[in-house]
Amino acid sequence: MAPVNDPRVRQLAELLVERCLDVQPGWQVTVRSTPLGRPLVDEVARAIGRRGAYALTRLAFGSDRFRVDSEWAREAPLELLAELAPIERYAIEQEDARLTIRAPEDTSAGSDLPAERRRAIQKAMEPSMARARSLDVRWALVQYPTEAGAEQAGMSLPEFEEFVYGACLLDWDVEQERMARIKERFDRTERVRIVGEATDLTIGIAGRAGVVSAGYRNMPDGEVFYSPLEASAEGVVTYSEFPASYLGQDATNVRLVFREGLIVEATADEGEEFLLQTLDTDAGARRLGELGLGCNPNIIRYTHNVLFDEKIAGTVHLAVGASYTYSGGKNSSVVHWDMVKDLRPGGELWCDDELVQRDGSWLF
Amino acid sequence: MTDPRIEQYARLLVDRSIGAQAGWQVLVSTTTEARPLAQALSRLLAERGAYALTRIHFGALYPVDLDWIEAAPEEIARTLPPLEQELVDRVDASIWVHAPEAGRDPDTAEARRAMRIHGLAYRARGRAGTMPHVRCDFPCAAFAEHAGVSLAEYEDVFYDACLRDWDAERQRMEPVLERFDRAAEVRLIAPGTDLVFSLDGRHGEIDDGHLNVPGGEVFYCPVEESLEGKVTFGDVSELVQDVRLRFRGGEVVESSAGLGEELVRQALATDDGARRMGEFGIGCNDGISRPMRNVLFDEKMAGTIHLALGDGFPQLGGRNRSDLHWDLVLDMRRGGEIRCDGECVQRDGEWLL
Repeated sequence: MAPVNDPRVRQLAELLVERCLDVQPGWQVTVRSTPLGRPLVDEVARAIGRRGAYALTRLAFGSDRFRVDSEWAREAPLELLAELAPIERYAIEQEDARLTIRAPEDTSAGSDLPAERRRAIQKAMEPSMARARSLDVRWALVQYPTEAGAEQAGMSLPEFEEFVYGACLLDWDVEQERMARIKERFDRTERVRIVGEATDLTIGIAGRAGVVSAGYRNMPDGEVFYSPLEASAEGVVTYSEFPASYLGQDATNVRLVFREGLIVEATADEGEEFLLQTLDTDAGARRLGELGLGCNPNIIRYTHNVLFDEKIAGTVHLAVGASYTYSGGKNSSVVHWDMVKDLRPGGELWCDDELVQRDGSWLF
Repeated sequence: MTDPRIEQYARLLVDRSIGAQAGWQVLVSTTTEARPLAQALSRLLAERGAYALTRIHFGALYPVDLDWIEAAPEEIARTLPPLEQELVDRVDASIWVHAPEAGRDPDTAEARRAMRIHGLAYRARGRAGTMPHVRCDFPCAAFAEHAGVSLAEYEDVFYDACLRDWDAERQRMEPVLERFDRAAEVRLIAPGTDLVFSLDGRHGEIDDGHLNVPGGEVFYCPVEESLEGKVTFGDVSELVQDVRLRFRGGEVVESSAGLGEELVRQALATDDGARRMGEFGIGCNDGISRPMRNVLFDEKMAGTIHLALGDGFPQLGGRNRSDLHWDLVLDMRRGGEIRCDGECVQRDGEWLL
């Protein structure tokens, strides 16, 4: 294969290893990707090696959506699927850091896996996810631009590369400062009100501290997020601008009605059955696990990829399901479905009685 | 359409070579070049109710992370990550598949050595016979290119050598094992070669599609101090030709090569054990019609023997330890003779048993 001399790949690798993961000598760092992530995987392995740490490279063919081999997952007995191999379980408990480099060959790969198999995998992965949510392990997630990713975003590959590197290779110290001001305003807020098309939802965050995501766990990054008070959400939200996507499936025009934090009504134009199935996964799947505010100035276009879309400046996203324990959240679930609401075409964000954002632009 | 032989090959590896059982954790190490095989192995292991722990790397000679090895400090690069060592210690079986890309070689001698150390560490339990393990290849473009044939031709030779009735092959090899098991002294005579060594007290092993695929050899660890005489290996690789070694008291005391003398010198300098022989193997696979510049193959070809400099097999009584295990193949079909305690047992590659 032809060598890749794009200097941005190396810059991104260094950003991941040095800032996002801050890899220390002797660490064991798991790196997951597909063969298409090669240029970045190789640069990351080298950057980890230069730091005197171990790279545990885990390439999977096809789908990087599930952390088990997708051919194996299709055929294995369900009870095996629902429990990680003991050696993998041990590795997940012991690894010092983990990096997932998404480099899809096919963005819908794995989405045809039967629901019971998907649930079994989610169950198997839960100890790993729990470690990540509580920041017991250093982790990061990054997108590497592939043809399939570009196609999903409706861009040519060169265009998508520009977009990805533009969103990732920011001066994250500057971004961190900008977002610290947003956190400061929301940290002294009791109730956040989101108003927009077919939307008027109030969420309590009193006593919860925001987390500024400025180039650590996601790449691209750029959000301030909270774990909402679990029993606080009241009202309705309609995701009319973008479809809500999860595990390779879409639900359009999702409308959720909340009473005392619980989803009491859920409808969608398309994908309603998938929506309802997901909300019925477990008790926590009908409550909010996250309120996030998109802050990345270089992400403007919708790309049908939550990793980017939830960072669009002028959007908010709400996740049904698990919350991050390190931001004070108490909701547990195997589900974490981020749904993005675009506030740029006529939305408002209120902190208690003060309007802080109109049409996606901050007023402070 | 996928080649149906890939599925048959995967079945051989899973069901015969390692005999996968339900609940086992099976390590599969290979490269992106072997994708169809890796996927078939995953499916089959799933059908057997076993966990597939797959380690897919980009196509270096060995299925290890060469980019990391090249960049890491030497002392780190020479060890497996502790979690991988834990894996190696705990798996129930492993399948180790070479599938290199053309031109992806270690960038320094140090990296080459670290790569070999990783390979030996991943395979240690399998080579010591304490765990079902198979070392094999996937016929990919780089192998074909190396052999100077088309991929289709390489695949044909490859699958002919691998997809055999291995129970029948075992029966064919048993008389060879029996004869050498009761031999005290073996003498190899060929052009440029007159080498004597002892197998006294040593027993051999038949590879009938378990340790290697293709299988088809009977192999021993010679008594370490016993080698005396000279041996000449002609066509070792494209980089190494006409290697002449002289042994005294089991050790290489003189070496030269028509090509690649420096590589030979480096290999012999790996460590103390690299100057001694770890293995004497007898090729018995009739399905291999021609050498393919691939030692896993060529060493199995009926009418050849091979000697490995370096690491031996403890389960065969071998005491030699090294980070090197370099199989060197000697073609006995033109003017070669093997004698067991003075009796000629093979001449010009044909058995006289």
